[in-house]
Amino acid sequence: MNIYQIPRNSLAWMLVAQALVILPHVERLPVWTSLLCLLCGIWRVMVFTGRWSFPGKWTKVAFVIAGIAALIVGYRSAMSLDPWVGLLITMFALKLLEMHDRRDAYVVVVLAYFVTLTQFLYDQTIPSTLYVYFTVILITASLIGLNQTRTHSRPWYTFRRASVILAQSLPLMVILFVLFPRISPLWSVPLHQDQGVTGVTDVMRPGDIALLGQSDELAFRATFEGDVPPISLLYWRGLVLGRFDAEDESWVHLQRSFFGGVYRKGNDAPAWTEQFEYIGAPTRYSVLMEPTNQNWVFSLSLPEPANDEGMALLRDYRFYALADIRSKKRYELTSYLNYRVEPTLSNMDRYWYSLVPDDVNPRTHELAASLMQDAGGDAQAFVSRALGLFNEQAFIYTLKPPVLGNNGVDEFLFETRRGFCEHYAGAFVFLARAAGIPARVVVGYQGGEYNDVGNYVEVRQFDAHAWTEVWFEGEGWRRIDPTTAVAPDRIESGLEVALDEEFLSDVTLSWMKFRHTLILSEIRLQLSAMVMYWDTFVIGYTPEMQMSVLSRYLGDIDKKEIGMLMLALFFSVLAVIGLVMLLKRSTRGLTPVEKEYLRFCDMLARQGMPREMGEAPLDYAARVGQARSDLKDAADKVTQRFIAANYIDDAPEDDTELRRAIRTFRLKTLGANV
Amino acid sequence: MTSSVLRSDRFRRWLNQRMPPANAITLDQRKIFILPTRQGLYFALLVVFMVMAGINYQNSLVFGLAFLLASMFMVSILHTFRNLSGLTIQAGGSKPAFAGEDAEFTVILTRHGARTYEALQLGWNPELLADADLIENTDARLRLFVQSQKRGLLNPGRMLVQTYYPVGLFRAWSWVDLDVSTVIYPSPVPAGPIPSVPSTSNEGDMMVRDGVEDFSGFREYQPGDPLRHVAWKSYARSDELLTKEYSAFADRRVWLEWEHFQGMDREARLSRLCYWVVQLARGSDTYGLRLPGVEIEPDNGLEHRERVLKTLALFEQPTMSHAE
Repeated sequence: MNIYQIPRNSLAWMLVAQALVILPHVERLPVWTSLLCLLCGIWRVMVFTGRWSFPGKWTKVAFVIAGIAALIVGYRSAMSLDPWVGLLITMFALKLLEMHDRRDAYVVVVLAYFVTLTQFLYDQTIPSTLYVYFTVILITASLIGLNQTRTHSRPWYTFRRASVILAQSLPLMVILFVLFPRISPLWSVPLHQDQGVTGVTDVMRPGDIALLGQSDELAFRATFEGDVPPISLLYWRGLVLGRFDAEDESWVHLQRSFFGGVYRKGNDAPAWTEQFEYIGAPTRYSVLMEPTNQNWVFSLSLPEPANDEGMALLRDYRFYALADIRSKKRYELTSYLNYRVEPTLSNMDRYWYSLVPDDVNPRTHELAASLMQDAGGDAQAFVSRALGLFNEQAFIYTLKPPVLGNNGVDEFLFETRRGFCEHYAGAFVFLARAAGIPARVVVGYQGGEYNDVGNYVEVRQFDAHAWTEVWFEGEGWRRIDPTTAVAPDRIESGLEVALDEEFLSDVTLSWMKFRHTLILSEIRLQLSAMVMYWDTFVIGYTPEMQMSVLSRYLGDIDKKEIGMLMLALFFSVLAVIGLVMLLKRSTRGLTPVEKEYLRFCDMLARQGMPREMGEAPLDYAARVGQARSDLKDAADKVTQRFIAANYIDDAPEDDTELRRAIRTFRLKTLGANV
Repeated sequence: MTSSVLRSDRFRRWLNQRMPPANAITLDQRKIFILPTRQGLYFALLVVFMVMAGINYQNSLVFGLAFLLASMFMVSILHTFRNLSGLTIQAGGSKPAFAGEDAEFTVILTRHGARTYEALQLGWNPELLADADLIENTDARLRLFVQSQKRGLLNPGRMLVQTYYPVGLFRAWSWVDLDVSTVIYPSPVPAGPIPSVPSTSNEGDMMVRDGVEDFSGFREYQPGDPLRHVAWKSYARSDELLTKEYSAFADRRVWLEWEHFQGMDREARLSRLCYWVVQLARGSDTYGLRLPGVEIEPDNGLEHRERVLKTLALFEQPTMSHAE
């Protein structure tokens, strides 16, 4: 039977839904795949409007070949997620040209639900979620359209029905979301291919961090248990760079930081942890980190080993994630802002942390020698003299430093004198090492913005920072931040104050620029807090998070009990929805005049005089008149108008007189209540 | 013709006990069955895939969407059930037919209160169901057809009422027996010229058409009949356009006899007699019927025609035929 036609109502919503479902994927799809989808859509619209007919068999074969060719050329490798999503979308678009009967239409609907789902593998923000849910309403509308009678042609009615059904499903979804036992992956899956790394990298060339300073992208958010420490003390250590690469004139990390074993939860503590001395009160915090596709994890000094088994503490007391951080990662840490670490350094370590080539930056070597002489061989005195140098001479703190050539440290210290934090940190460590003092560069973030709505600190890329650690005999490693000598504002008040005009000058429109406009700032903090909760409790609702949330509210509970609770709640709520749906009084199907009269009856009911079952309007009015003489006239007026409008032929459908009478009546009742 | 499940005697007995035949039936939870459709099962499979994707990618939002669709699956049970529950189905008359033709039954659907119904499908033949909506209108009259097999009384049996609305994942249905039946006349078989039996009337063959003397009865309207003779009152009542007939005298009197068709079996005779009745009823002759044990005096008009045809339909036919 070829007489079946997909109802126009359904098809219209299906085409709209399909376009919107594919749209966000276009930026990732090969151009030819996008064009093919567009062509399929146009063709189907032309069929829909009766201008074209369905493509023939060979045209369809050509389309399939073109679709697969576009994917092969566009992706080359089948090892990641993208080509499979591309294949799904191609099938989804091609199926349009083959959609003849109801079963085909169901296939398209099911594919549409699945394609819209894949959006979440790429983008999990709130706007993206709202968008996906909107497309789900549209897809459901087309599903409803398939089951309506052919003559039905009110698309918005169908849309409303879809919205109602989905709205009723929401509470059930929340129950399942919270209580459905989350389990670990059954098998591992490749995600996105070659994504660029973000944030600080493990090589620091002059200019690298200045580049990050241009970006207002989020790096991570940290929530503190108890009071937030002063922002100026928040040095988020990410990487320790202990080796100067003479060829590149850059700082890279020293393999030695892995020597001596790593400290993981459950393992025995390595010997080097004996050199850790925690002083004072602990600071407990959790960090929700944006994906970087790299291994390092940010922490405050001096941390205890993490509870997270995927994170290892290295001997330069930074954390290393055993797997690349490809999605948002949440971890909890305890650090002691007062500490002493590694008061004795082995000869080997002392050698490596003081190593600089003799043949580059000769003027810096000379400077180091003379400063050391002035300091009388005392490392502490050397450091304060060197910092004084940065402070007293005309050094400029800028995001746009000049490019340095060979002997970059010399050039920077003696000629350009313009640089960002990595210039100062790099030059300072070089200088200290040239004087024989063990020192190293630390890269990470400094500070952040405190959000009082959500009580957390938000750290963005422009908070990226480089500072140094210098080792003193008997005291161990101590943080020295040369930037404070040049631009103390950077640490005290943040980058914006330190840079003024230069701040985010390359970003055309950023919330961050308006952070001091009062109302906008308030909105921004609110939005940011909302995103924080979203990231923590919705996106970050992992098996561990589920257990910790559920055990907090439900006490000691196992997976089986959670499952039972879920089913019990689910079916209770379903029963309530069913009861409300089957029992509710709806005013649909009544004329406007009848609706107005019911409104009047409701008002009287609130006055304590509900209309009896089956009571005639005139009897009701008489009863009201007897009980309440103050309302008599107004109630009589309404009743007369209602009778006139409802029972006399040729009366207008929508009666303004009646509405006026009801308004008068309402004012009367309000007056009576005062 | 009706679904094969109804062929099972046990099931039929069970149904008769649960919802005995009645002229008007209001559907409630005792009478409504509901099960997922094939599409519903595929949909459930889709949700399972989505949950697996959520597990493998450890993606909460994927879980969320899977759970939303799972919830929608469950909520749609309520909606589909609601779309039948409370609906009143009532028999609204039937029209006889000749064996082999479609007999027409009228069914009236009524909704009560504000609840609306959409995309209802009903009928005796699951292949050919009629659609109905009750959204703005509070009732709907549907004309449903049942193919008849043989003469006699036709009881179409249980009618299927079903709906897939709104999302097609579930099908709610009921088998209602509206306790209706209609007469199925024998299928007419051409039997040659009508025998001219000497009439008992003395006035001979004179036929006065459009006479103005005496009202003699109704016949079906034929194009060309004067409009003033159309029975408008009866049209307003029954939708049938009839012409009033007047005649000065009775015309020919014809006796249709069992004995005309020697050597034929019962059904062949009845079919031929039926043919003659249909022919004669178009004219103004009076005709009578003589069957073994039955005699109907000659007369004319619609009522007479129906009486004669019914006699032919039910002749030696004690049991009621069920539509199969």
